[in-house]
Amino acid sequence: MKGRIFEIREFTLHDGPGVRTTVFMKGCPLRCAWCHNPEGQSFETETMRSAAPGGSAPGADRTVGRDWTPEDLASELLKNADIMAQSGGGVTFSGGEPLAQCGFILETLPLLKAKGVDVAVETSGYVPLESYRAAIPQFDFVYQDVKLLDAAEFRRWTCGDVSVVLDNIAYLRESGVRFVFRVPLVPGVNDSPSDRAAFVEFARGCRMEFLPYNPAAGAKYPLLGRKFPLDGIPDAIR
Amino acid sequence: MTERIKSLLERTFDKEQAKFRRDVDWKPLLERFVAEGVSDMARARIGLEEMLKAETPAFMDGERLVFLRTVKQIPDLHTEEEMDARRAAGTAFGEKGVVFNMTADFGPAIRDGLETRLLEIDARLAELKSRQDGGFPAQDGSDRESRRPAGGDAEGIEFLENAMLSVKAVIDLAERYDAAGAARPSYQAVAPALRKGARNFHEALQTLRILHYAMWCEGEYHCGLGRIDQYLHPYYKADVESGRLSEDGALEELEEFFIACNRDSDLYIGIQQGDNGQSVMLGGVTRDGKPAFNDLSRLCLKACGELKLVDPKINLRVDKSTPLEIYELGTELTAKGLGFPQYANDDVVIPALQRWGYELEDARDYSVAACWEFLIPGCGMDINNIDAVSFVGALDRALRNLAQRRRDAEGGLRYEDVEKEFFAEIQRRADALVEKYAHVEILPGPFVSVISTDCIKKARDISKGAKYNNFGIHGTGIAVAVDSLASVRELVFEKKLVTLEELVKLLDTDFAGRPDVLAAAKSAPKMGNADARADDLAKWIIGFWGHAFDGKRNDRGGIFRPGTGSAMYYIWHAREVPASPDGRLKGEPLSANWAPSLDVPVKGPVSVVRSFTEPDLGLVCNGGPLTIEIHDSAFAMADGVEKVAHLVKFFIERGGHQMQINTINRETLKDAQKHPERHRHLIVRVWGWSGYFVELDKEYQDQIIKRVELKG
Ligand code: SF4
Repeated sequence: MKGRIFEIREFTLHDGPGVRTTVFMKGCPLRCAWCHNPEGQSFETETMRSAAPGGSAPGADRTVGRDWTPEDLASELLKNADIMAQSGGGVTFSGGEPLAQCGFILETLPLLKAKGVDVAVETSGYVPLESYRAAIPQFDFVYQDVKLLDAAEFRRWTCGDVSVVLDNIAYLRESGVRFVFRVPLVPGVNDSPSDRAAFVEFARGCRMEFLPYNPAAGAKYPLLGRKFPLDGIPDAIR
Repeated sequence: MTERIKSLLERTFDKEQAKFRRDVDWKPLLERFVAEGVSDMARARIGLEEMLKAETPAFMDGERLVFLRTVKQIPDLHTEEEMDARRAAGTAFGEKGVVFNMTADFGPAIRDGLETRLLEIDARLAELKSRQDGGFPAQDGSDRESRRPAGGDAEGIEFLENAMLSVKAVIDLAERYDAAGAARPSYQAVAPALRKGARNFHEALQTLRILHYAMWCEGEYHCGLGRIDQYLHPYYKADVESGRLSEDGALEELEEFFIACNRDSDLYIGIQQGDNGQSVMLGGVTRDGKPAFNDLSRLCLKACGELKLVDPKINLRVDKSTPLEIYELGTELTAKGLGFPQYANDDVVIPALQRWGYELEDARDYSVAACWEFLIPGCGMDINNIDAVSFVGALDRALRNLAQRRRDAEGGLRYEDVEKEFFAEIQRRADALVEKYAHVEILPGPFVSVISTDCIKKARDISKGAKYNNFGIHGTGIAVAVDSLASVRELVFEKKLVTLEELVKLLDTDFAGRPDVLAAAKSAPKMGNADARADDLAKWIIGFWGHAFDGKRNDRGGIFRPGTGSAMYYIWHAREVPASPDGRLKGEPLSANWAPSLDVPVKGPVSVVRSFTEPDLGLVCNGGPLTIEIHDSAFAMADGVEKVAHLVKFFIERGGHQMQINTINRETLKDAQKHPERHRHLIVRVWGWSGYFVELDKEYQDQIIKRVELKG
């Protein structure tokens, strides 16, 4: 089984301890309005203009999304096994929604774990419970997103059904796997004092961290020929 | 930081000291030198004497370490015509020709005091003079000097006499300071320690300040400070152990000294403001091989972290056994955006220096020149950045040679021919430099000689040669050369997209009409991605470059040391070539030093480190660091420091020689170009030194903005 990946990034700093590589899996069943990786949403390969950061050359088109076999991916990741071991780092699967490609993940993880590599996942939890249950215990650490708790609000801003996430979280709490809740704070969406209090209450007894809103979140939409959903929403949002 | 230091820091940054400065027109002095045919040696001494006489003792409120420059200009000792005439007669000079880019032997001078040196000079003079008169028979037959016939060692006598007067001029200014300072509250006299030797940490720092200051006044530049955590440690230790000085007190002293290093530095301009060579080396091992990182090393790092100034420029020696904690102390400065420390790897550098003929004890005592060239304080009169070979230029020439020849004689061209021609061209350029610097002279510096090793004993100015007299030659643009070679191999020989002749023509037209070739060039393998297709080429170039000067000697008895630095050459060499086969267009700069090409996609810093530690860096230990830029958001997370520290440790453990890290944010840099007034404190690492971004010329600013910014 092949997995579709839109980026493999070395030396990521926000995805766990030590020196890590993060694998960004392509495709996500949610459509969060603030998503800053829009190229991670579609499961299809896409063409994207590159931003030509600081460069004089105009941005060229590039294809996002490449298919990997578990073996190829593992061998690419294991090239950095030395510094991962030195620093207590490892690999983090992110996306998109990594668990949407659960089968591929389940084939890849053993190849990494056999070499002693620590593996973590960052998930929205918006996947079928069977996938979630199969995959989560295979990870050393889980970053579990908590975006919104209210069903209507969740649907409004992510187009999803919050009960799927809540059911998975109920499983996670009992699973014995180490995890942290991550709350991406979005101005005007979920960052009021009462929102925050609700998150704190929800996470009682567990680790939780708030992630500040990335003001450049909308930057990549135009490169995909898309419009940032938060554009045109009142100033409070940005 | 104490209130006093805070206030000194702010006022120094705002250049309050500039109010003491005045202009002096030194032209009449120079005219006198020319008219009277004054010797080089006497000019150096008279220049220093006049300079120091013209100086006025000046004090900033609240300072305890004194000495600051009040005369803006340092006298020129030779006219351009005089220098040109010498060049025309076959003498080469390193840069301006004077003693520069070295580090004196401050420790013994601080400990013994300058009067000890005066006595030594006196004794040596008496000896030479009596020999001149025929007295003083040879002590043993082996000493050829002493068997000289009547007339004796006139050169030695001239040096010693001038050295003596130079030293006296320095002491004289110190005494004028004391006379002027006596009326100030809690003024501590400076001359006694300068004359008799320092007795405590404060006096040691004060004497160091004066000696360093005097070197600049003698006309030396890029004056490094060397291993201050070693030679100042005895004073620090004695003071702290006896209770005379608290840890905080020591920090305050050190901070004041570091601030002082920024006081006159705007008068010490190199190629760019900030390029002043005030480097410090911390840590490493002692001359007898024991770990040398100590409490004072730690305190130095702390002081820099609090002050956030560009000077002094901190270097940190590490090796395989260095604990992560020490890397973290260094990385904390990186996190503050200071662009230093620059790390040097003892495991690679010490054996490399030994292989080049340095004695083990000296090799263990290494420091750096203005930027990164390894040198031995006190006994190294290396001209460690005398010139450079442009790898990119050499490849361009090689390709043109081949294209030309191919037109002349038909026949199958193989990729191996490209490699062969490229090597031949590098060797030709290396040989040409050996030729160019066959006869190099350095203009004398009698004062700096007094505070260097063995000059008095040998009765010779350091400019005549020290224990080590090697020349350093950098190879620039490694990444562009590697990427270009990889691209030639792929485009011309593997994919056969273009012929070599066509490619060479495209280089002159920025790939006009062939966007396909440009795109293919840009997507060919690049150095920095842990891709053997590129990295093997680098290994092979360095393997060749590292031996390009084997067996060659300069006429000072030294060797030629190949390196990987670029200094300002990365801007200059880029102007000499049109587009390059890697897809770099005309006018686009090269990467600085040992670093990926600008704007190329790289996987990340781990792969960059991996690629750039593949070659045998012990072969190119003239120095020249891996230079990487990390986005400032890396340090937003609490463990950012630890992760970056691991990256440096990884580099060292893989046999890297030298590394520096810039913490930058492109958006901030761009904003600083637009609104310099808002970013006066913004520091960047330029090529081998940290400077204020807004003080750089735009060309250098732009190059930094184009560097590969590694985000987490
Ligand atoms: S879950 Fe993550 S990847 Fe998916 S849409 Fe939301 S923010 Fe984007």
